[in-house]
Amino acid sequence: MVVAAVAMIDSRAGAMVDTTGREPGGVGAGFYPFWSAFLVFVCAAVVGYKSWRSTVTGPPVYEGREGIFAVVKLVIPMVVAVVAIAWLGFYIVSGLYMGLFARWIGRYNWLVVALLTVGMPAAIYAAFEIGFRVSLPKSFLYNIGVLPF
Amino acid sequence: MEVFNVFGDLAGGFATALQPFNIFMLFVGVLLGLVVGVLPGLGGTSAVAILLPITVIIARTSPTSAVILLAGVYWGALFGGVVTSILFNIPGEPWSVVLLFDGFPLAKRKGKPGVALASSFFASFVGAFLATVMFTFFARALADFALSFGPPELFAVFVMSFATLIGLGAESPVKAVMMIGFGLLLAAVGFDTLTGQPRLTFGQIGILSGINFVPVTIGLFGIGEILASAEESGIGFVERLSAKVGFSDILETLGELRKRIWLVVSTGIIGFWFGILPGHGATAGSFLGYGLARQWSKHPEEFGKGEISGIMAPQASADAAAVGSLVPMIALGVPGSPTSAVIMAGLFIWGLTPGPLLFTEHHDFVWGLIASIYLGHLLTFIICLLAVPLLASIMRIPYAILTPFIVLISIIGAYSLNNSMLDVFITIVFGLIGYWLRKMKYPLAPLVVAIVLGDSTEKTLRQSLIASGGNPLILVQWPIATILMALAVILLLIPFIRLLRSRGRARTAALEAETIGTAID
Repeated sequence: MVVAAVAMIDSRAGAMVDTTGREPGGVGAGFYPFWSAFLVFVCAAVVGYKSWRSTVTGPPVYEGREGIFAVVKLVIPMVVAVVAIAWLGFYIVSGLYMGLFARWIGRYNWLVVALLTVGMPAAIYAAFEIGFRVSLPKSFLYNIGVLPF
Repeated sequence: MEVFNVFGDLAGGFATALQPFNIFMLFVGVLLGLVVGVLPGLGGTSAVAILLPITVIIARTSPTSAVILLAGVYWGALFGGVVTSILFNIPGEPWSVVLLFDGFPLAKRKGKPGVALASSFFASFVGAFLATVMFTFFARALADFALSFGPPELFAVFVMSFATLIGLGAESPVKAVMMIGFGLLLAAVGFDTLTGQPRLTFGQIGILSGINFVPVTIGLFGIGEILASAEESGIGFVERLSAKVGFSDILETLGELRKRIWLVVSTGIIGFWFGILPGHGATAGSFLGYGLARQWSKHPEEFGKGEISGIMAPQASADAAAVGSLVPMIALGVPGSPTSAVIMAGLFIWGLTPGPLLFTEHHDFVWGLIASIYLGHLLTFIICLLAVPLLASIMRIPYAILTPFIVLISIIGAYSLNNSMLDVFITIVFGLIGYWLRKMKYPLAPLVVAIVLGDSTEKTLRQSLIASGGNPLILVQWPIATILMALAVILLLIPFIRLLRSRGRARTAALEAETIGTAID
């Protein structure tokens, strides 16, 4: 909790020095962010202080090592997928992402994995690109005219 | 005469809501809501947030259809969570947690899953129906009253909504204040609308126009919830009952409902007024209903063992509170719950300004929405009675397929808003922040409400100060503003009073223990 409070104070520190001069009505553009940041700073200090003084040990915050591992298993592919969208486009990434989960987490056979890898992007393409006319990021293969997505 | 006007407006609303496309949107919304309500990994608020960008396309032809879709998700999710709580002993939604106390015991120990489900559906329907009737007659009056508000009064309304979140809603008031401050800061990012100066951008051009609250909300609720449930998956999957609601269950439930009709009606009415308080929604309403039922019961010892009052009262109150939470959104432009905050964000995106002028400027929209609440609850009620086994089977969708699907839909939702990958990155970052905030027990409702209300709060404050030449007394100069500010102060004092009372009790207990100790010595 202390770390959380310190992180909050630190992340808001930039806002506190962003206060600009006085404007009509006695308040400038920085007035509102300054006082909002001040509010966060004071509360973070109180939370940090209470956490430091507290002698009561509550239940563990995380559900053990397995729980954290489950979150990491979800976060890393998600971040990699989002970064990869810039080059591979949404449809290729979504197929690979679904396939990866089906094989790695679900332990499905390769036929199911292949069906999900191809079927999910196809369904999303049909629904969004054709149905709703929402254009999603395309791959470099689209740019050179090899693939329609 | 006013009453006849309401009936006329409502008839017009039904004409709008009953248009084939709107009925289709309502049906889709309710079904989606039921699905997400059943699934523990995804909440109604998340589903509404994820669907927001898609509604932009629908709103181009009709904002009424868009809001009917989102509201349908909300009503569906309210009912859907019941199935998981009663049959699986896992809350599908935060507002169905309270059903674990008596819903599952009635289904499991007393072997009456059909009655448990039917009791909940009937009470939900009655509560929601009563609340919608009250919505129909009071929202317009509240909106007309709010039309006389100037910037100081509106600022006081916003302050009071924040104070309600702090004073009544939060487990830790300090954390709630911190989340409000954080939300106000996020809302302030980008160009200052009054002076044109960039704020809190740290030199990043991409956020000069501000951080859109839609990707933030999708991240906080959609991704954040998925991460939290990934950590907890496997926990709680202990029991699994199968059931359908048969005719005999319905007859038995109707008998039980007749015995408890006043309980259901009174918790429904109280739940509605509770839901109007900004920051509260179905979750707080459900616990309020349960508490009241237990307090009023002649046999409180039966609660926790499958008491039907422990199912009916919280359900009536929760659904009524959910309907009530839309009233301040429509009448004042203040969201009554996190879900209504997200729906309100939708209104902004579609080019509508939530608040009292909606009734005059977008008459069809408001009355179409009100009529759709009646129809939405009726539709959900019928689907639930008929399709419980089908709804329960949704729980069999494997985690390995469901989780990446939700992540992909969240990415689509964030991207399609502005065709910007920056919004996708914001979603992921706020997903991680949302997960961390959940783990650290920081409330998300104050954060979301502050992000949505941040701009309006700042604008009304600065308009007031500019009008008064910088004199802050303008904020308490007019009677309505003064009353609202005084109420806000009272609400803010509630946590301090609670703290003092608990300290007083602890001191008395310590003194008593000391006296007993001395006597023994």
